[in-house]
Parts: sequence; C-alpha cells; structure tokens
Amino acid sequence: MIQYQAFLPEIWLVGAAFLVLIFELFYKSNSDRGLLKAVAVVGVVGALLSLGCELGCVSGGCPVQACCSMGTTVPTAFGGFLKTDALAAFFKLIILLATLLTLLISFRYFKANPTFYVAEFIAIILFSAAGASVLTSAQEIITLYVALETLTISSYLLAAFMKKDKSSNEAGMKYLLLGAFSSALLLFGFSYLYGFTGTTVIADIGKALATQVSSPLLTLAVIMIVAGLAFKISLAPFHMWTPDVYEGSPTPVTAFLSVASKTAGFAAFVRLFWVGLSVPALQPTWIGLFAVLAVLSIILGNLEALPQRNIKRLMAYSSIAQAGYISAGFLAGGQLGLTAVLFYLFVYLFANMSVFLAIAIVNGKTGTDQIEDYAGIWKRSPLIGVVLLVGLLSLAGVPPFAGFSGKWYLFGAAISKGYTWIALVGMIFSVVSLYYYLQVARQALVSEPKDPSPIEMNWVERAVLVISVVFIVTLGFWPTPVMQMAQTAASSLFN
Amino acid sequence: MFSVLATILAPLAISFNLIHPVAQGANLLPLLSTMIIVPVIAALLILISPEQWSKWISLAAASFELGLGIKLFLIFDRVASGFQFVEDISWLKNLGISYILGVDGMSALMVLLVTCVYFAGALISWNISMRKKEYFVYFSLLVGGVAGAYESLDLFFFFLFYEFAVLPMYLLVGIWGTGRKEYAAMKLTVYLLAGSAFMLVGFLAIYFTSNVHTFDIRALSDVATTGLSPSFQNTWFPLLFVGFGVISALFPFHTWSPDGYGSAPTAASMLHAGVLKSLGGYSIIRVALPLLPDGAKTWLPYLAILALINMLYAAIVALKQKDFKYVIAYSSVSHCGTILFGICTLEAAGLNGAVIQTFSHGIVAAMTFALVGTVYGKAHTRELAKLGGLAACMPVLGALFVAAAMANVGLPGLSGFVGEFLVFLGSYRSGFHGGFPIFQALFPIGVVAIVLTAIYYLRLVQIVFFGGIKDPHFKEEVKDGSFVEILPIAFLLIVSLAVGLYPKPFVDMSNLSIAPLIDHIGGFK
Repeated sequence: MIQYQAFLPEIWLVGAAFLVLIFELFYKSNSDRGLLKAVAVVGVVGALLSLGCELGCVSGGCPVQACCSMGTTVPTAFGGFLKTDALAAFFKLIILLATLLTLLISFRYFKANPTFYVAEFIAIILFSAAGASVLTSAQEIITLYVALETLTISSYLLAAFMKKDKSSNEAGMKYLLLGAFSSALLLFGFSYLYGFTGTTVIADIGKALATQVSSPLLTLAVIMIVAGLAFKISLAPFHMWTPDVYEGSPTPVTAFLSVASKTAGFAAFVRLFWVGLSVPALQPTWIGLFAVLAVLSIILGNLEALPQRNIKRLMAYSSIAQAGYISAGFLAGGQLGLTAVLFYLFVYLFANMSVFLAIAIVNGKTGTDQIEDYAGIWKRSPLIGVVLLVGLLSLAGVPPFAGFSGKWYLFGAAISKGYTWIALVGMIFSVVSLYYYLQVARQALVSEPKDPSPIEMNWVERAVLVISVVFIVTLGFWPTPVMQMAQTAASSLFN
Repeated sequence: MFSVLATILAPLAISFNLIHPVAQGANLLPLLSTMIIVPVIAALLILISPEQWSKWISLAAASFELGLGIKLFLIFDRVASGFQFVEDISWLKNLGISYILGVDGMSALMVLLVTCVYFAGALISWNISMRKKEYFVYFSLLVGGVAGAYESLDLFFFFLFYEFAVLPMYLLVGIWGTGRKEYAAMKLTVYLLAGSAFMLVGFLAIYFTSNVHTFDIRALSDVATTGLSPSFQNTWFPLLFVGFGVISALFPFHTWSPDGYGSAPTAASMLHAGVLKSLGGYSIIRVALPLLPDGAKTWLPYLAILALINMLYAAIVALKQKDFKYVIAYSSVSHCGTILFGICTLEAAGLNGAVIQTFSHGIVAAMTFALVGTVYGKAHTRELAKLGGLAACMPVLGALFVAAAMANVGLPGLSGFVGEFLVFLGSYRSGFHGGFPIFQALFPIGVVAIVLTAIYYLRLVQIVFFGGIKDPHFKEEVKDGSFVEILPIAFLLIVSLAVGLYPKPFVDMSNLSIAPLIDHIGGFK
C-alpha cells in the first residue's frame, strides 16, 4: 500500500499549483489576482503543516492522534523509492520555508515589475519546490534525477521570466545551456553506477560497492556525479553561471535559487555520497575532490565578491563562498558534520532570504540593485538597515548572529576529521568576506542618503523581516532547539 | 550638574547595595551575568525611549555597572584561589559548550577596569549631537561584549563576546569618527577579525585534540589531563599568541591601532584602548599560557623580541607625529608592548606587572584619550603645529593632562610606575633560555622606551599647553572644561593615583591568578 504521508507536502504544492492555473482562467488580464496568491500561500503552509504533523507522528509527539494513522513508522512509498525520514523532513522544512518567503518576495516584485503572468510564475515556483521536496526523500537515483530535473527545468523558466528584459533572457539561456550540460554529466555518471552495481537504489549501490576495488571507470563516474551536482550548488570551478543568473533573474528567483535549489543540491549530495558512495574504495577520492572544490569556492567566491557593485552579483559570489563553507562540513561527514551542514543551511535560509526580501523592497522603491544606491537606508527605513546588517554579518559569521554558531560547527566538524587547513582557509576568507559585507552595511548604516524619502513596506513584510532578525540573533545565542532537530535528522541517515 | 550627579549616585547606590557581601552564595541576581545584561538592557531601553533620554539612560546604566564593579572588587575573596561567582549552565552538551562565567583575581581587576572606563566614557559622550540614539545603543552593546569576554570561562562564549564587541566598534568609528573614518573602521575590524580567525581555529583544534572534550577553560588548563602533545602546542602557541596579539597591537600587526584611534570618537577610543586592547594580553595569560605551556616555553623568548620592537618602535614613531591624537595612539601601542613583554618573561613579577600595567594602561589611556577629545572639541584642531599655550585658557584641563602624561611616563605615585617596575623586575629575575640570559639582555633596551616615552610626552605638554598662544582665537573662544568634562577625567586620575599610591590590593589580587599559573607551568630555567 502506498503511504501517501511520504509525499503529502508535495501533494499540497502540486495541488496548489494546479488550482492557481485553473483560477487564473477566470481573471481579467489586469486584475490583481489576490486569490491566486492566497491559494499559493495556503498550499505551502498546508505542506508545512503536513510535514510538521508527519514529523510529530514519527517522533511520537503529535498532539492530534487522529492524523497519525501509521503510528511511528517512517512513511515510505513506491517500493521504498520515496522515504520521508527525519533528514528528508529537515531539508523539506528549509525548502518549504524558502518557498514561502520566495512567494512573499515575488508579490513585492510584481508590484514593481508588472507582468501578466503572475499565475504562471507562482505555479512554476510551486512545481520547482515540489521537485526539490521530492528530491530530499528520493532513495533511488532515477527518482532523484527526475526530481532534480523538475527543479532545474522550472528554474530555467523562472530565470528567464522577464521576457522583455535582456539580462533575464541571458540568465535563462546561460542557466539552461550549462545546466543541461551538467545534468547530462550527472546522468552519465549514474549510468556507470548502474552498470557497476545493477541497481538504482542508493542503499543497494552502497552494499554492492562495499566489496568493489577502486577502478578508473568508477572514479570517472564519481567525478562526473560530483561535477554534475557541484554545478547545481555552484561550487567553484562550476560556478561560472551563478553571477549572471543571479543578477539577471527576477529577485524572487534569485532568492529561490540561492536557498531552495542549493539545499536540494546538498540533500542529493548527502544521500548519494554518505549512503551510496561511502565505501572504502571511493571515499578518499570524492572527499579529496570535495576538499579541493570547497577551498576553491571559498577562495574564489570571496575574492571575486570584493569588486562587485551590484548587490545581486555580490550575493551570487557570497553564495558560492557559502557553498564552500557548507562543503567543508559535508566532507567531514558523520553525525557532527551533517548536523553542522543542516544547521548552517537553516541559518543560511533566514539570513539569505531576509536580505533578498530587503533587496526586493529597496528595488521596488528605487528600481536599482547598485550597492551605492543603498546609501542612507537607515534613514529611509531603519528596519531594512538592521536587516542588511544582521543578515549579511550572519553570512560573514560574526557573533552574536547565528551564522557564527553555524560556522563554528562546520569548521569544528572539519577539524575533528583532520581538515584543519580547510577550516583555516575558511576562517581567513571569512575575514575577506567581512570586507564586502561591511561595504553594504556601511552604505546602509553609515552614509547619508541622496534621496531621503522613506521606503514603505506592508505589515507582512515587516513581520517577516523582524522575525528573521529575531531568529538570527536568537539562534546565535541559543541554537540548542534547532541543533537538536538537526542532530535527530542527521542520525536518521545512519540508522 | 545636580541632575547629572543624581543620575550617577542613585544607580551607584542601588547597585552597590543590591548584592550583600556576606551572602555570597545566596545572591538574588547572578552578579556576573547582571554585568553583561545591564548594558544590553540599557541598549534596548535607549532604543525604545525618546532620543533626549539616551545619554541619561546610558549614564545611569554605566553608574549602575560601576557600582557592581566596585562591589565585585570589594567582596572578592582574597584568600581562596580559583574562580569565584561561578555560573555554569550547560548549553550544548554533546559539543562540550557551556555558559560559564567566573572571575579570579586577574579578571576581577579587568572587570573593574571595564566598569570604570564605561562610566567615564558615558560622561565623555555627553555632548554627542549626531544620531544620539544609535550611538548610545552601540556604545552600550560594546561594553556588554567586553564585560562578557572578561568573565567567560568557556572558549566558545569567550570568542562570541569578543567578536560581539568588535562589531559596534566598527559602527562607532565609521559613523561618529573623524578624518578617514571609514577606512580606519574597516581596517580595524578586518585586522581584529583576522586575528580572531586564528583564535577560532586554534580553539577548535584544542577541543578536538585534547582528551577532555570541553571548551571549559578550567578543565583545559591542565596539560596533564588534556594530553596536548608538545608538537601540537608548538604549532598552535605562536598562532594563538599572534591572534590574541593583534588585539594588543603586536608588531607588525599594530597598524590598525593608530588609524583606528586617530579616527574613533572619543569614547570609542577610550573603550578600545582601555578595555578591548587589554583583552589581548589578558587572553594570552588566561588561555594561551595555561593551555599550551610547552609551546609557550619554546616561543616566548622569540616573541619577546616582537614585544620589545612594539615598545621601542612605537615610541620612536610617536616622537615624530604631527597629530595630537596619533601621539597618544602610538603611546598606547608602545605601552601594550610593555604588557606583552611582561608576559613573555614567564616570571611571577613580570606577569603581575603585565596585569597591573594592563589595568593601568586601560585607565591612563582612557584618561588621555578623554583629554585629547575634550581639547579637540574646544580648539577644533588636533594638529600640533596649530596648538600652543592652551594651559592659559584651560588651566584645569592642562593640569589634568600633565598628570595624565606623568602617569603614561610612569612617574612613581601613579599607576604606570607599578606596572612597568614589576615588568622590568620580572625580566631581570626571569630564567635563562637555553643557557642565554635573553631577558636580562633585552630589558635595558626596554628601559630606553621609557625614556622615549618621557621625551614625547613632555614634548606634547610643552607644545600643546605651554608656550605662547598660537591662535589668537583661542584666547576668546576656548574655555576650560565644564563639570561633565572634568568629572570623568578626574575620576580616572583618582583610580590611577589609588593604584600608584597603594598598589598592594591590586597586586595581591593579580597574584591570586598569577602565582598558581607560574607554579603550574614553571618558568624558564
């Protein structure tokens, strides 16, 4: 029997996406489509609730016993191809929250950049979120690949969504070409894996490879898989597309790519490598590869961010560096490393999303993304000034913000496995990153405004920004609850 | 004037009586946490109350904090060794992180220093006119961070509080500074955080290499149980020393300091030179020496040379400065060299000297920066070429500056003398390193720096305060300091005098931490 709880959040997302498309038919072209937005938000919130309910049931802490028809068993579907364990649930939580915030940013964005395709945009966001969400619980490489493609093909569309805008078109085209290439690489690598093991189930691949000796073809397969997935999370040297795509895409899409897409990529990495390829013959190879990629991303991402003038480009390079930091925790692996990765992704979600929401709000008023136009934000909207300071410094890993605890765990995990040099590089380049993050904070908080007119926002945006700031500061001082969740999630991989 | 006095005295009295001396174990409020939280609460209050209240709230909080600091100093048990007023709350158990606060003799002195400078800084900031509210918010948060760093006994929280203090400093210098303020602010922040990058990796390496798996400094302080190998210690000690040293403006990583102090607003220079900078030497004694003693014995004689260059080089540079504040800034760098040199001797008198010099430098540097700021506020220039004969227009400030200069020079009777004397005594007594009397050979060079200090301070006094009045405007426009300007400076002078005239309680307190440390790790043979 199919345990539909295993993919209940995805049902909500896809259902909401179809409803949005159907309701769109009844709208006149120039109305404001409030219902569509409501349906989309309800869909994501419903997905979050069902996820929470499922998590509660599995851990035995759900107050509503009626919804726990399965007791505390981990829901599994399609012959074990989908399994929503605590790890998948944690990734889903990040992806769904990112989707919710992306929707919020997009409502603001469409007010400033009117388009007739609101319904399509919302639906595609929901579809790609569904793809990312399925990816996190995929236990089998074909499912994983299909889910990943659902996510990325939707992303190509989203990147090119402003069809009259040249840079958006460029972003979409670039993303498509390089993305298709990397997907092909990934699939090629997968086909070798299947050839070697005769199975597509990740856990069985691990078992079959356990006795295998290292061979050049197997190594090639691993390299292709790493390259294909590294592209998705923009690890250097597969990061070339990132700045152009981040700059050219509509801001909500950039936000979505930088958080949800990256989280999904790491979810794929964790399952594939720590379950399927965590065998003596291959582990040294891919850990070495990751060490190189992580250090390259940290160095290149941070150095190339220094001369940036456009805040979205800056965030693109910043996200490359962030992927590098997270990879340092990922390659350390084990309970400690994966907990650190999960915790950092959670923190990264709030920091990045709040900054992108601030970018969208500022852009809605000023129409530019140039850093120099952020001068004197503190006078125009003190809250945005605070958000930029807190969000960016959390990304830089400065206490008392959550990014600091996150980096502490990531680098701690790396050091515990003997990768002290990666941690040292990471910390030194965090100081470099501080320079460019502070340049934005300096414009926002120190300089005087050229145009002192206040920047308005609605109460939802205000609430979200305040909650994000409170979250980032609280998690810096008191990370224990989220850490515990992350620990449970990480340990579910090893059971 | 009376409202100012009332704002000072009322909170002072309240906080002073809040904690009863006898019932040490049964305090209603955990003393040390209160000292971190008071400035943070003050910051929040300032944030939500009207702008004209900001300075009053800040002053009240500072006075309250001062009361707590004095109280801590008085009720501190001078017989028992070890940490007192310990608060220990488990925070992340499986990662060995706990929220542990506690003070021993050395950190109690440092906490007293923080409260003194906080109080003086709150008064000096009285006439801030631009973006008042934010100014006092950052100012208060900064103090909360520094106080936390001095009280923390857990490496994680130590690091957290330390960096927490750096960030408001960036904004204070960047927004309210003078001259090339944005450059200076960025330089200062990047240098300090680069130093702390080594600290963080070092802390994590210690945690994962040691056998005890905790960030608790008390548990890590015994090499016999942590089992850190000599080669590990030899690798990490110099990195940690330099990481901490950057905060104390260790040569060649000192260049952030003159630029930073030159540009910072007065209260920020006071806090930075007075308490944040002292954190470097303090953390070497608190963390690097006890955790990595073998590394210390290998490296300290060589690092002593860096400290000596600090003393001498900064003093020579100070001689040539054209800006009033830069002279003081370089003087502060030079004094930090003395502190680091004292630590390097690895001898009880030398380390006690370093602690007392840290305290003294904190008070005296804060006082001197307060004077420079006040004079600048009145004369509107800091260029030495344009200043002259100010003693005629501002006799009280002039007299106070002469006193401050003497304290910097190390005149007996003022605090500077005690620290420097002990440092040199320590270097004389220190053991031989590899059969060579390195400290005995080095310390006469250090004494040269003292002479240079006397030269540049006397030159400063002569140029700025004596001689003819350079600018005729000075005569009509420049007035002597008002009550709120004189009060903080006089207060700091009294503290400096107290240490200078009766150093025993201070040295005894410092020795409570230093004697067991030296017993434990042993000096040079």
